[in-house]
Amino acid sequence: MSAIEAHGLGKSFGGRPACRDVSFAVERGEVFGFLGPNGAGKTTTLRMLAGLFAPDAGTARVAGCEIAPGRPGGLELRARVGLLTESPGFYDRLTARENLVHFARLQRAKEPVRRSEELLERFALRDHADRPFAELSRGMKQKLAIARALVHDPEVIFLDEPTVGLDPAATREVRNVIAELAAEHATIVLCTHHLDEVERVCSRAAFIAGRLVAVHEIRRETLLRIELAAPFQPDGVRGLCRSLRLDGNTLLIEPGAEVPDIVAALVGAGARIVAVAPHRDPLEDAWLELLAEAGGP
Amino acid sequence: MIRVILRKELLELRRSPVLLLSMISLPATVVVVPVALLAWMVHAAPEQALAFIQEIYGLRSSDPAAAGLAAIVGRNWLPMFLVLPIFLPIMLASQSIGGERERRTLEPLLAAPVSTASIILGKSLAALLPALAITWISAALFCLGIDAVAGQRVLPDAAWIFGVLVLTPLFALFGNAAAVVVSSRVLDSRAAQNLAATTVLPLLALLVVQLAGRIALGPRFYLGLAAGVAAADLALIALAVRLFDRERLLTRWR
Repeated sequence: MSAIEAHGLGKSFGGRPACRDVSFAVERGEVFGFLGPNGAGKTTTLRMLAGLFAPDAGTARVAGCEIAPGRPGGLELRARVGLLTESPGFYDRLTARENLVHFARLQRAKEPVRRSEELLERFALRDHADRPFAELSRGMKQKLAIARALVHDPEVIFLDEPTVGLDPAATREVRNVIAELAAEHATIVLCTHHLDEVERVCSRAAFIAGRLVAVHEIRRETLLRIELAAPFQPDGVRGLCRSLRLDGNTLLIEPGAEVPDIVAALVGAGARIVAVAPHRDPLEDAWLELLAEAGGP
Repeated sequence: MIRVILRKELLELRRSPVLLLSMISLPATVVVVPVALLAWMVHAAPEQALAFIQEIYGLRSSDPAAAGLAAIVGRNWLPMFLVLPIFLPIMLASQSIGGERERRTLEPLLAAPVSTASIILGKSLAALLPALAITWISAALFCLGIDAVAGQRVLPDAAWIFGVLVLTPLFALFGNAAAVVVSSRVLDSRAAQNLAATTVLPLLALLVVQLAGRIALGPRFYLGLAAGVAAADLALIALAVRLFDRERLLTRWR
């Protein structure tokens, strides 16, 4: 059974639609990206899935709990999911430790003090645990907020814009934490508008732009992009490639052999090569296409 | 969960010296000013002033001046000790919902598996307990001060005992519930504080009218007041729970 199944979720505020017809599924242990421009309804969708409020339309099942109009999922759902909110949201006068233990208790964590200490250690916050939250750096604050999302061992973790407003060093720290969680096969929904963040850790990503939602597979394989001086029939090198696509003078290859061997075979077959470079998954192209389809950004 | 919220709120209050100071300054004034005024009347006021006061409040000139004046000050000042338990929880409770929104701590709180009733009860207790403690300590100090100046035991009399033990908790509950209701609708802690604080105006009016010697509030009035405030408390608490709209709190900023 999927960890999350959303069918036609929709929500309006004051008659203005925040999101419409959002449908997707997330498998257990999957890191799923949630992409969309500002105001596309990402946070609203996340809040519905985290049980903060009910949708106006559609249904969802999250960690075994049902969500429907008038039924936001309740205490049971909120106990089963962890939510990293867009702003860390801790109490300035309380220390990092006091804040984390407080939320561990609210989240009904088993052994809240021990679990909090464990997470402070894991996120290298123990040395700063007795400082008031207000005195922590942005990166530390965000790591503490991630620790809060994990403190009750949730079945599904929602991360809403985890690196927004962070400096490059803090961004790297937080991305490393997300990568660690992904490696541990946690079920994560990562809501962001940073494509590279999604490309780095997600297996699939949903695009939200207006009402349009498309789910895009993110390929991990490194493709080879070969620019040719003139059109060329590459049939002679198919044996060295897992896949091969010719687009005008551009050849996209998923290598099945060493790159120098492929290049040598192409040259041997008469190809005039202008450039050879690694080609990343074209998530950006897909994003821009979808935005254009939806009439945005 | 109520205990978890209460513990956090009290910890935050302990770490807020400015808020604590502002909570203590009003009760200190309410205790010191009338006791000092009584001391002046008993020991230093000119004869004419004393005669004027005795006339206004219908004191016989044969009564011992200190005890008579002390009884008047005690009776007239009781409504002020009913204002305190309304005003003090308002200072805390108006911060409870609106303040959480402003500090952006409301979303993590609402995302936790905590019921609306637990949030409201936890936050209400955190506003009520310090407010009642400060009110009761102030009332005790006031009674001791009045008795010391009068040179005999004048306070607490029956009205004071009833007022402090029965009415102050009811009024504290009223002030808190009013602040929670307003705080969860106006979405700005300062506006909530100002709006909720208007609930003390009827009591202040009573205080002024009584000080002017126009009325003398007696046991029947206080009994009726207790019944009325208790009914208002129940209605306000029910309203506070009903009006606590998670979606509105998270998505409306006006």
